[in-house]
Amino acid sequence: MKRLLLSLSLVLGAAMLFGADTDDQTKAHSEVLDLAGAFQNDGFKLRDGTWYGQVSQGHSQALQVNLYSGNAYWFSVAGTDASTGLTVSVFDDHGNPVEVQTYQKDNKAAAGFSPDASGLYYVEVSSSAQAATPFCLIYSYK
Amino acid sequence: MAPPWKWLLPSIIAILAVEPLGAQQTGGESSPTPAASPLTEAEKKAAVAIDSLTVPTPGEFFKAIDKTGKPNWVSQFRPPTPIGGVNRAQMALNLGTLIADGYIAVEAQDGQQVKNIGRDVLALAKKLSVSDSVLARGKSITQFAEDGSWDQLNEELEATQNEVKKAMEENRDTDLITLVSIGGWIRGTQVVTGLLVESYNPETAKLLRQPALVGYLRGKLDQLPTKIRQDKLVVKVNTDLKNIATLVSFPADHVPTADEVKTLNQASAKLTKEISAGE
Repeated sequence: MKRLLLSLSLVLGAAMLFGADTDDQTKAHSEVLDLAGAFQNDGFKLRDGTWYGQVSQGHSQALQVNLYSGNAYWFSVAGTDASTGLTVSVFDDHGNPVEVQTYQKDNKAAAGFSPDASGLYYVEVSSSAQAATPFCLIYSYK
Repeated sequence: MAPPWKWLLPSIIAILAVEPLGAQQTGGESSPTPAASPLTEAEKKAAVAIDSLTVPTPGEFFKAIDKTGKPNWVSQFRPPTPIGGVNRAQMALNLGTLIADGYIAVEAQDGQQVKNIGRDVLALAKKLSVSDSVLARGKSITQFAEDGSWDQLNEELEATQNEVKKAMEENRDTDLITLVSIGGWIRGTQVVTGLLVESYNPETAKLLRQPALVGYLRGKLDQLPTKIRQDKLVVKVNTDLKNIATLVSFPADHVPTADEVKTLNQASAKLTKEISAGE
């Protein structure tokens, strides 16, 4: 618990520093930390970086990440209370989807993945909602 | 090799543990994904790249290595580096290498070394006028090192690095941020290849594949203002990175040979030395 609280305070501090400018972003960030906290309890370390964006049906967004084979990763995303239908997918450097373990509940979603090859991957956030949905993505590894 | 489910299962259980933390959740669904459609070239091109997530930390790199054996991290310590600096570009590059040194000390679980490096990081940050915001981090690093809290130290080092970068942004020194990342990656590569030269392991060698990352860092260098881009050391870094890019750009199914690793080690060691010396 102590470790979790410490990590939460670190990341919350970083959020203030790294542009959680709006109430929606702050809410999304707080929500995604709830989710990622579970992975931390399982030994995953949280990257001290956040990605804020907006998605809607048919308008996904992707992030480039460079991963290492042997490590396990969870990419977690959350929106505001009103956000539903968020999903996270992972693609290799050719743009082909890779098999991931997914989690989806209310305004949160996550994808778990252990790459066989080191290198570039794309993490895509999608939404089934018609309206623009703000989100915050973070990732953890072990 | 353990099946992926071996690590996924505890994670699924861990998700359920979110409940007591106050989230209004009652389970959630966790399952393997159906295949999504491949990304188009346009979608790949439009993908966002941000320094704080796209560039892996040395700690992330080292964590992967830990799984392939018992690396002799102490062997990768280096003598204290001069923190004077000939100009701000060199100091930023050097700061990146020092932060990577911090991760090495954490991996080696050497509290005194962590404290020494933390002190150098702060001193260099002060020269770059970003010390105020990272002073508190310095105190935390010292405390965690004394307590032997290695996991927290990993997170604290990344937070320190991000805070330095944020301070640079506030000081309108955004150009230096790229140089901190590059310094860290070069030193990290030197360390990993150094471990491999000592004791070659194909699994570890596969970790060296990072073509897109070097491409990203070089792209950021190309976007720097002319004055910094034409700095003698930055020119050298850019030229050497071009060579290093070829060494880490190999197909996913290729395993670098011991000789290839040695070549990469020599290239990254040379560049780290040049950064420290400010040549």
